[in-house]
Amino acid sequence: MKLLLTKTIRAVFLMLLTVSTVSLNAQSDPTGESAVTRTFAITNATVIQAPGKELKGATVVIKNGLIQAVGTNVTVPTDAQVIDGKDMFVYAGFIDGLANTGAKRPENAPRPNDLFSPDPPNDYAGITPEHSLLDQLDVASNTIASMRKEGFAISHSVPFGRMLPGSGSIILLGDKKHADELVLSKDVSMFTQFAGAPGAYPGNVLGIMAKWRNLYRNAENNKQHYDSYAQNPSGIERPERDRVTEAFFPVVSKQRPVMFDVAGVLEVQRAMRLQKDLGFKLMVGNVKQAWDLGQMFKDNGTSVFLSLDLPDAPKEAKGKDLDEMTEETKRLEARKVDFYKKYVGQAASLATSGVKFGFSSLDVTSTKVKANLLTMIENGLSESDALAALTTNAAGLLGIDKITGTVEAGKIANIMVSNAPYFTKDSQIKFMFVDGDKYDFEIKEKSAAGNGNRAGAAAGNDPIVGTWSYNFETPNGASTGKMTFAKDGGTYTGKMTNNDGAPDANLQEVTFANGTLSFIFMIDAGGQSVELIVSGTVTGKQYDAEVTVSAFNFSTPMSATKDDGQ
Amino acid sequence: MKKNILILTLILFTGFISEAQVKKGDVLIKNGTVLTITKGTLANTDVLIKDGKISRIGKNLKAPNGVQEIDATGKFIMPGIIDAHSHIALSSVNEGTSQVTAEVNMGDVIDPFDVSIYRALAGGVTSTHALHGSANVIGGESETLKLRYGTSNPEELKFEDAPRTIKFALGENPTRGGRSRGIQPSSRMGVEAMLRNSFNDAISYRNTWNAYKADKNPRKVAPEYDLRMETLVDILDGKVLVHCHSYRADEIYMLLKVFKDFGIKKLTFQHANEAYKVASELAEFGASASVFADWWAYKLEVYWSTAYNATILTRNGVLTSINSDSGELIRHLFHEAAKTQKYGDLSDDEALSLITLNPAKQLGIDNRVGSIEVGKDADIAIFEGHPLSVYAIPVMTFVDGVKYFDRANDVADQRIYVNPEEAVENITIFNRLDEDRCMEEGVVSFEALFSNKK
Repeated sequence: MKLLLTKTIRAVFLMLLTVSTVSLNAQSDPTGESAVTRTFAITNATVIQAPGKELKGATVVIKNGLIQAVGTNVTVPTDAQVIDGKDMFVYAGFIDGLANTGAKRPENAPRPNDLFSPDPPNDYAGITPEHSLLDQLDVASNTIASMRKEGFAISHSVPFGRMLPGSGSIILLGDKKHADELVLSKDVSMFTQFAGAPGAYPGNVLGIMAKWRNLYRNAENNKQHYDSYAQNPSGIERPERDRVTEAFFPVVSKQRPVMFDVAGVLEVQRAMRLQKDLGFKLMVGNVKQAWDLGQMFKDNGTSVFLSLDLPDAPKEAKGKDLDEMTEETKRLEARKVDFYKKYVGQAASLATSGVKFGFSSLDVTSTKVKANLLTMIENGLSESDALAALTTNAAGLLGIDKITGTVEAGKIANIMVSNAPYFTKDSQIKFMFVDGDKYDFEIKEKSAAGNGNRAGAAAGNDPIVGTWSYNFETPNGASTGKMTFAKDGGTYTGKMTNNDGAPDANLQEVTFANGTLSFIFMIDAGGQSVELIVSGTVTGKQYDAEVTVSAFNFSTPMSATKDDGQ
Repeated sequence: MKKNILILTLILFTGFISEAQVKKGDVLIKNGTVLTITKGTLANTDVLIKDGKISRIGKNLKAPNGVQEIDATGKFIMPGIIDAHSHIALSSVNEGTSQVTAEVNMGDVIDPFDVSIYRALAGGVTSTHALHGSANVIGGESETLKLRYGTSNPEELKFEDAPRTIKFALGENPTRGGRSRGIQPSSRMGVEAMLRNSFNDAISYRNTWNAYKADKNPRKVAPEYDLRMETLVDILDGKVLVHCHSYRADEIYMLLKVFKDFGIKKLTFQHANEAYKVASELAEFGASASVFADWWAYKLEVYWSTAYNATILTRNGVLTSINSDSGELIRHLFHEAAKTQKYGDLSDDEALSLITLNPAKQLGIDNRVGSIEVGKDADIAIFEGHPLSVYAIPVMTFVDGVKYFDRANDVADQRIYVNPEEAVENITIFNRLDEDRCMEEGVVSFEALFSNKK
């Protein structure tokens, strides 16, 4: 971790140099897009400096990408753009512990014509630990802006791939021209997952576990060979260059942790079994089923990043459906509810057992992040533990707590400003500062639809039921058409027609609560069924949403208006 | 002093996940008919279990303070059934992409949530041999399990300190796998060649490493490490028991010759439907067999079979067991054992040994389980009716003295983890997928099987 820290400090230093260059250029920026100033003062705000550490009526000064001062008795610099922070709440920008944010999914390695399935080439086998997130980092990726919109300023992002996709880097979720400007700390982890090669070795978890041991043991030997050759090559056979084994060296010397994407309770324990056999430093991410593992995490000193994804709440049967249920079905439904509680309560239970964890957005749609955090809080997670997971704990686990994670003078200016305490239903993010750059968000008026459930109960006066005209951008141009929603009992149903003559789609899992309308539909993409997730806010007759295609890591805005006369 | 060492050991091991602390029970089973397997049948006898071990067997035993008593009057107490060939409780069965995968390990893929574990307990089974599938000539190392159902920790299911075992496979399965991928082996001859090549490679690997270890040069360079070869060397060195999927007498005899050539002694043939034809050869070699009672004709190489197989082998002095290889058959292995009385007239003890002591010997765990003896693990099944009767009903099953199945308290929903998003549907009691997982993931596609374009 010491090396990581040194690297980080160096990176920050480099960032500062870059930033000053940018400011100089800005004076002759013909586009007029550059900020007028990079000095800001948020005055008279409630500042949550760290979990449980709150200042009221405080001022935060941001200058040259750093937090210059925080306090109730702070002088506002003359060149500062002043933001009136009355009724506003200032937090440290959130840190995502494991994500693909900013990464562009590369084409899959083509199947070699002469594939020998027991021993495929490394790129086809998915054994490419020498790759780096930086190879896939794309400033134009809309995932950066979507996560920033949800309060995240930093992401530990990993490349796409199979068993060993490459190393993860810590990136700033800013709007930059060049990928290097996003990088806070390069190659901080070795990312790995139980993803086998299609029809080749290692094909599944059996082969992956064995291959892992083999690669690691060889890397230990090879490192010794490389080291003694470097010390004195005389009389030692020259070590053959091998980029895979070289990528393992920092892991073998325990300078670089291994980040395992392990959602399930068995996968987590498999990762821990490997660690026990081999002795590397372990981080587990995207964890969804860890309610039984608290003690094990503590005993092993494993770094944990829990998934921000949660299962949908089981639907409660009512009326006729309930009457028709057998006693056995009722018991089975009750067990679903019990387990739903375990999923939504896992963060709380780990916090209780004293595990310091962060969060991972790997499997979650960005627009669901806040709702899911609130669900975790409803199920026992304290707000301060939630905030710690999003800021201080994540920074600590990633070894960047000296430079970020709190609103304190000297830290990087990663700040989130909301119009109400963040962990409340109606709070909205007004500003984000990432690396000292300001991003504004429009505060949406509290819609009448905010009480959707209650309003919906009155038949004929439902804010959703009716026909809507929609419009969204696809890679093939704009897609327009009609969506029709109906309500049956307490459940919404919907249908989507397309003006291009594409087949109608049934809308599934239509939910409307607290002004947010979400649904899923499937489209046929060249014989493959692709799931699109739509989620957004209803304001009167206007619907602003985001369409996410999780399979391709693609998202695009969608808007719809409710047709008149309904 | 001994206790102190024990405590010290426990302290040292806390924090390591694999030294999972398993539950051990105390219980007094009263007044049953005890089928000891090794020491005859004892009527109206009590079995006292302390800390997961059988501590006393006798009449009129008193339960120590706080120890639960179970009245087994009119019931039969037998050692827990051991299934020497099973694929339940596994997340994956085959790494079918390569035909020699000695490096993979079923201990990595234990699935403690598999409801088949509970179903097996309900059939009096307390241990299974969780084998790699038969898609590969040399599959992976297997794991001997104790069916401690109810945990989310896979390590808790492992039979502590059971010897290492590994799966081999001959005949149609590995050649089907090979042909479907266009790789060796595509014939029985290829299977033998692959075995001999693998062991020769292992010998040369061992020589290379021995030379390295003997080298006094402080700046020596280590040869390449190969987990596959490491395992094969351990087989050559007698540290791993081989369990080989096989059917035909010619291929069984072939493997005996290969193992003789390489000096490998610990060998059990699995299935071995034609073993009766080479029974005396097996006995001479010291190899054992784990067979089906009367299951055959599901593919060409399994046509020439007989229900007398187990008896013929037993009478020829071959250590024999009866296995299930199925999530369904495993629930009534006592019926399978009883068939040897119809076909071959084995004695009660001989028939019961086929599913208790004999598989324990084949797995190298007979010092711990397989019979009811003082000092052995309290892995015990209680039956209503003699277990070899068609009217037998398993009523309770204990592992380490802990009751994991009780017919009187048989909760319907035995799932350990429940998916909250899964629709509740009509329940399927019998899952056909459980029946034969031997070739799961082993073959590419049905069409590819019959393709000549390889």
